[in-house]
Order: sequence, then structure tokens, then C-alpha cells
Amino acid sequence: MSRKLLINLVIIVVLAAVLIILPIALNNVYWTSILVIMGVNILLVSSLRTIKLVGHISLGHVGFSLIGAYGSALLVMKLGLSFWAAIFLGGLMAAVVALALAYPFLKVKGIYFALLTLLTAETFRLIVWYWPSLTGGFWGLLKIPSPNPIPIPLIGTINFANINNYYYLTAFIVSLSLFVLYRLERSHLGFKWIAIQDTEVLAQSVGINVKWHKMLNFAIACFFAGIAGALYAHYQHSLSPDATSRFGVLMSIYLVVYMVVGGESKFAGPIIGTVVLTVISEFGRALGEYQPMMIGAIAVFVMLLMPEGLIGLPNRGKLLYRKLLNQTQRMRRS
Amino acid sequence: MALLEIHNLSKRFGGLTAVSELDLDVGQGEIFGLIGPNGAGKTTVLNMVGGTFFPTRGKIIFKDEDITRFPPYRRARRGITRVFQRDVLFRSLTVLENVLAGLYMSSSTGFTEIFFKRLSIHGQEKALYEKAVEILQFVKLDQLADEMAINLPHGNQRALCLAIALATQAQLLLLDEPLTGMNQEEIKAMMHMIRTLRDEKGITSVVVEHNMRAVVGLCDRAAVLDYGRKIAEGSPKEVVNNPAVIEAYLGKEDDAV
Amino acid sequence: MDLPAQVWMQAIVNGFALGWLYVLMALGLTLILSIMGILQLAHGEVYMIGAYVTYYCCVSFGVNLYASMFISMAVMAGFGLFLERFLFRPVRAQILAPIVISLGLTLILMSTAVVGFGLYERSIPRLAQGSFVFLGSAVPKDRIIAVGFAVGLLLLLYLFLKKSKYGQAMVASAQSWEGAILRGISPNMMSSMAMAIGCALAAAGGTLAGSILMLTPSMGTLPLVKGLVIIVLGGMGSFLGAAVGGVFLGLVDGIIPVAFSPGLTSLAPLVVVILILLARPQGLFGHE
Repeated sequence: MSRKLLINLVIIVVLAAVLIILPIALNNVYWTSILVIMGVNILLVSSLRTIKLVGHISLGHVGFSLIGAYGSALLVMKLGLSFWAAIFLGGLMAAVVALALAYPFLKVKGIYFALLTLLTAETFRLIVWYWPSLTGGFWGLLKIPSPNPIPIPLIGTINFANINNYYYLTAFIVSLSLFVLYRLERSHLGFKWIAIQDTEVLAQSVGINVKWHKMLNFAIACFFAGIAGALYAHYQHSLSPDATSRFGVLMSIYLVVYMVVGGESKFAGPIIGTVVLTVISEFGRALGEYQPMMIGAIAVFVMLLMPEGLIGLPNRGKLLYRKLLNQTQRMRRS
Repeated sequence: MALLEIHNLSKRFGGLTAVSELDLDVGQGEIFGLIGPNGAGKTTVLNMVGGTFFPTRGKIIFKDEDITRFPPYRRARRGITRVFQRDVLFRSLTVLENVLAGLYMSSSTGFTEIFFKRLSIHGQEKALYEKAVEILQFVKLDQLADEMAINLPHGNQRALCLAIALATQAQLLLLDEPLTGMNQEEIKAMMHMIRTLRDEKGITSVVVEHNMRAVVGLCDRAAVLDYGRKIAEGSPKEVVNNPAVIEAYLGKEDDAV
Repeated sequence: MDLPAQVWMQAIVNGFALGWLYVLMALGLTLILSIMGILQLAHGEVYMIGAYVTYYCCVSFGVNLYASMFISMAVMAGFGLFLERFLFRPVRAQILAPIVISLGLTLILMSTAVVGFGLYERSIPRLAQGSFVFLGSAVPKDRIIAVGFAVGLLLLLYLFLKKSKYGQAMVASAQSWEGAILRGISPNMMSSMAMAIGCALAAAGGTLAGSILMLTPSMGTLPLVKGLVIIVLGGMGSFLGAAVGGVFLGLVDGIIPVAFSPGLTSLAPLVVVILILLARPQGLFGHE
């Protein structure tokens, strides 16, 4: 077994152990719920990065999260489907809508695409708002049930109304999703996406069906946005299409900030960004109205001074170290 | 049957006619030159064969298939590869990765490959890697395999473009001024490369060029365009000495010979 | 749909006035977008702060309303210069960075407003009292004055761009960076001016809005969205498009809630914009 593989395995095992122990160690309902939300956001931001791989910035990711959330909730509540079927179908619905919109959307360039996605997410939100018969409108969708308890022979039943158990559920689904996204990125498919972002004209020349690959990319990313939304729905037990909710423009902004602060050059970047900023937000909760200001200031600061994000810090550290080393050597010589 | 047949090709941009009623045949294994004064429409023809845009009228037949309305990627899969005038490379990838990009076109993106890369047909990955190295050796870039493509000097970048074309298993190369911006030595090397590609791999080339000496030395046949129309066709020597051709060039600023 | 003429007149006038406020917003956005290449998503907050500056000048310091508006425009223009120099100029060449910075700026400005000004609504004194009779219905004077100001500013901008040396330079640099640089026009100066003018226009819009409507820290979000919609309808860099689009949108906003349901009002423009962008990725009046 190669050294690199061994190191990776060790990291994974350690991470898994930490994830498993965390809620027990914290022993705090509030913080465990934060972890659940963090998990949902990690999935959202990572799938946002997937879209960035083909070179597009989506400011409407929350819109697809909305589809997954309401879709899954309604499937369970109105059609009696099980949680597992519903969450998958919720993601699928988001993916189908994304696929349908992708073909015309991806013709639009750069800034206009971001704008288009922003307006689309707002449109989805408003559709939910003005359709109370289906979605509960601005009163919200209430009493969304937790997933059904799973009986395990000889041990007992796992009850998902328990926050710790829902945390494990979230950790499991998010980890699985991240694994899928990561493998996709490192596969030939991901390589083609990166080639498309690099030089679209050359990608075409090399036989890559750019349109189709962009559509596939968008659909896959929005699938996971839908899954994240569904996870949220069954945790929160209620959904609201309010402008200040997690389906509004503000949340779209936060997602982009999380991605960029973490650094979008590596897969782990958005994850780190989400974790760090969520923790900072929580500790800053006491500051109340100053919170958005803080996040905004961090975003501006990072963009101006460390555009590669937090994930670029080790590199910067190395460069700085080398510079210092050179300087001391030069001083010694003279 | 000719490899590439162009029938009655025309292209209009609004009121401007760039190419008009062009008929051309390129045979398998030929190195075919497309020359003419500036603005004659040579690059437009190349664009239409490559698929950058579609003709207003006319047909393009490649290996007996009507590809007139195919998007560029479909043409690439049939074996037509465009090599662009300004070296178009994948800037954020290494030399080796650039070639791999070309090879991936023929690879599969199946379920096992994506999720269990290590467990899957490990052989396929290795084979692709070896093929890429082989191609780089052919264009003499194998020593630079891990360099970032953008860091290469101009001549090497050109060679890399050819390597990528090779990787896509091109049967027809569309070369847009491949000798521009090169010194004598580099020109000789590039000409040799194009000839070798034909001799050893049977690759046909359509070359748009301004450098007359090179055209005479490199091409088997050539056609001359002026104001979008073909005014001469034949062996390079014939074409260069054709009075109509000389007339056309004298009437414009020429940068030939 | 059988409503008295008065209601219709009110709806139309309101819509018309609103539309011109949107135009002021869109003009600034378009200027910044075509010259700096940046989608200034924080422009709504500039609009909002402009309104509050006027409020403080006028209500707290007792300065004349019109003078306050000009002070606000000057202050926000200066603020714009600051933003351009320190936040946007360093990242001008990139794609993602300016968007993120403007997003961060939005967060900062909005929460500064909430903290500094408080959440409850305030109001700037009316531009004029009373109304006059037009076509048999009463039309509030302040709406018309607001429109007057907006149209006046638009004309001023138009004249500036057409006749003044700097204005023509701006038009040139919007069309071609290289051409402008070749003619000795400094991109930095162009960006600064674009930002300053854009922010001044937004401040004017915010002030007028604050007088006709209410001041709240979140008053800038909706006009920003409308402004973005207008840019799409009008195409990037087209002032005629911005004007037409703005008035159209304002009328829609004024009339549809009265004639149909409020739901349609918010949705219709978005859907229209999406459809237009899809049909013509360059916007209605724009050029590729």
C-alpha cells in the first residue's frame, strides 16, 4: 500500500472517529443542531463548488435546495412516502428542474448567468409563497415528520426525533454525498469539466460535448442541493419561503462567501470555509445585528488579501517561510 | 473517394460575402495548402470545416459523411482536429495532462471508473498514461511532461497542440498558420513534423499559410483564394507561378516570401 | 376591474414615479457594469444610505430638503470613490472577486444601517404638498416633482456623456478598453468617475424614494433587484434601454397589484426577465 494511500486512510479514520464522538462529547442539544445545519451547509457549498468547476457561479443554489426541501416534505406528508424515498426523489426533482433549465441557462455568459440564477431562485421562492394550497404559502409548511424509526434487531430502535441520531443520519448522508462529489471531480468526467472551464474552445476541439457536460454538471450539483434541502426539512420540521429564510437571497450570498473564504481551488476548501464561518457566526451570535457585518467584512478581507482562501494558507506559509529563510541566509553572507 | 469534399461552400456575414462557391477535394494523406492574400477567406473556410460556424450554403463531406451541420465536438470524434492560430492550450494543466485530455475523448466515463477508480480497470488508466508519454516522445516534448503548458516557449506550445491533435486520433488536421512567429529552425522542425505525421501516421493536413516558401516545400497541392473565391489550384509550383495569383497578391499588402 | 378613475390615476402615477426611481438605480448599475465590468450588488445599500444621509441632514440638522439631497449625492459620490479605490480597483481584472466583495459590502452596509439607524421606519418630508387635478383626478405633486428630478438627472447624465470631454471618454472606454487607453484615457479615472456618478444617482433615487415612501434599512434590496432586471431588459450599457425598461417596470409595479393580484407583481417581471435572457442572452437592447 503506497504511503499516500496510507496517509489518506488514516485521515479518513480519524475524521470518522471525530464525527462519531462529537455529539457525545459536546452533549449539548444546541451545538448538535448547529452541527446538523453545518452539515447541510457543507453539502450546499460543496455542490456549489461543483458548478464552479465548469466555470459558472450560481447565485441561485438555494432555489434548488428549496425544491428538494418542499419536494421531500410534501412527498412524505401528502403521499406517505418513506423518508429515504422522499429525500432521493426530492434531490431528483431538483436535478430534473436543473436539467430542464440548464440548456438555455448555460448559453448565458458569466455575470448574466449568476444574475439569472439569482432571479430564478427568487422566482421559485415566490412561487412557493403564492401557492398556499400546496405549500402553505407564507404561513409555511409545518409539522414535517422525522424519518421513521429504524428497528435494529437485538439493539433497539433508532428514533430520529432525537437530535443526536439525526446528526448521525446527516453525517452519513452528507459524507456519502461528498464522497460521490469528490470521486466525480477526480474522474474523467471531472477532468472534462475542468478542461471546459479552462478553455472551452479547445475542449470542443478535443471532442468534448461541452453543452451536455455543463448540463450534467449543473444537474448533479442541484441534485445534491435538493438532498441538502430535504435533510434540512426533516430536521427543522417546518419550512418557510420567507425572504429572510435560508431560501432567500441572503443565504445565496452566505453560500458564496463560505465557498470563497474557504477557497475554491481544493475540494476541502468550501468545507473548511463553512465550518470556520459557522463557528465564528455562532460565537458572534451575541453580537446580533453585527453578525452580517462581520461575515461581510471577512469576505472582503479574504478577497483582497488572501484570494485563494483559507485553503491557500499552508502554501502562503511555505512561501513566507522560504522568503524568511532566504533573507536570513543573505544576511549571514553579508 | 476524397477524404474531405467541399461542395459549393459559401459564407455570408450580413452583407459581406467571405467565401463564395468553393469546391475543393482533399485526398487521404495529402498535405493541402490553402493560401491567398489577407482577408481572402482562408480562415473562414477552416472555421467551417472545423465547425466554429456553419456555412450559408454548400456541403462539407468527410469520409462520405455530411458533416456540414455537426458541432465541433462531433467532428473531432469523426477525426477532424483544428489546431488554432494562437496556441490554444489548457493553461492550468501540465503538458502531460493536455495530451491526456485528448486521449480521454475515447475513454469511457462509466460508473465503476468514477467511483472505484483504484479498483476499476487499473489497466485502462495506465494504458492512457503510457500512450500520452508515447505521443509526447513523438513530438519530442516528453522531457517537459510535468511542466505547466503555459510555461512552454512558443515553438513547444505549437508542438503540444499537435500532440493533443494526435491524442484525439485525428485523421484530418486543420492547421491555421502553424508557422507564424517562428524562427527558421522552428519552421523547419514544424514542417518536418507535419510531414512525419503524414508519413508515419497517415494524417492528412489542410494548412493555411502565408509563408510561400514553406507552402512550396511542404504541400502536395494547394488552392488560392481571393475575395472568397478559388482562383487557382494545383501543385504549389504551378500555383505560385500562376499570373492570376501573382496579380491577386500584388494588389494587396503581401507578407509572403 | 371596475375601479374608479381616481384609483387608476393613482396607480399609474405611482407606478410612473416608482419607475423613474428604478431608472436612477439602473443607470448607476449600468454605468458601473459597462465601465468597470463589475456587477455592483451593493448598490441597493448605497441607495439606502443616501436616503438616510438626506434624512439626517434634513431632519436632524434642519437643512433644506433639496440642499440635503445634493449633499447626500456628494457624500455618496465620495463614498463611491473610496469604494472604487480600495475595494474594487485591486480586483478589477477578476471575475469572482468583485462579486464576492460587493456581496460582502452588502452585508456590511446593511447591518451597519440596522445598527446605526434602527429598524423602524422613518420618513423624509414630502417634496411638495398637495395635488393638482389632471384629467379629472387628483395627482399628488410630490410624485411629479420626483419624476422631474429623475428626468432632470437623466438629461444631465446624457449631456455629460455626449458633450463633455470626460463623458465622451467614458462612452469610449465602455465600448473598448484598449481604444480608450490608446487615446490616453486613464482606466482608473474612468472607474472612479463611473462609481462616483453611479453612487450619486443612487443617492438621489434613495432620497426621492424616502420622500415618497418610507426609509428602512432594507429599502434598497427591492430596487436593486428591479435595477438588475432593468439592466437585463435594457441590455448592458444602453441608457435608452434603461430608461424604457425602468418606466415599464414601474408602471407594471404600479398597475398590476391594482388590476390583478400582488403575487403576479413580484413574479411577472422575474419571469419576463428570465425569458428575455434566454431568448436573447445580451438583453433586449444590448450588443454582444
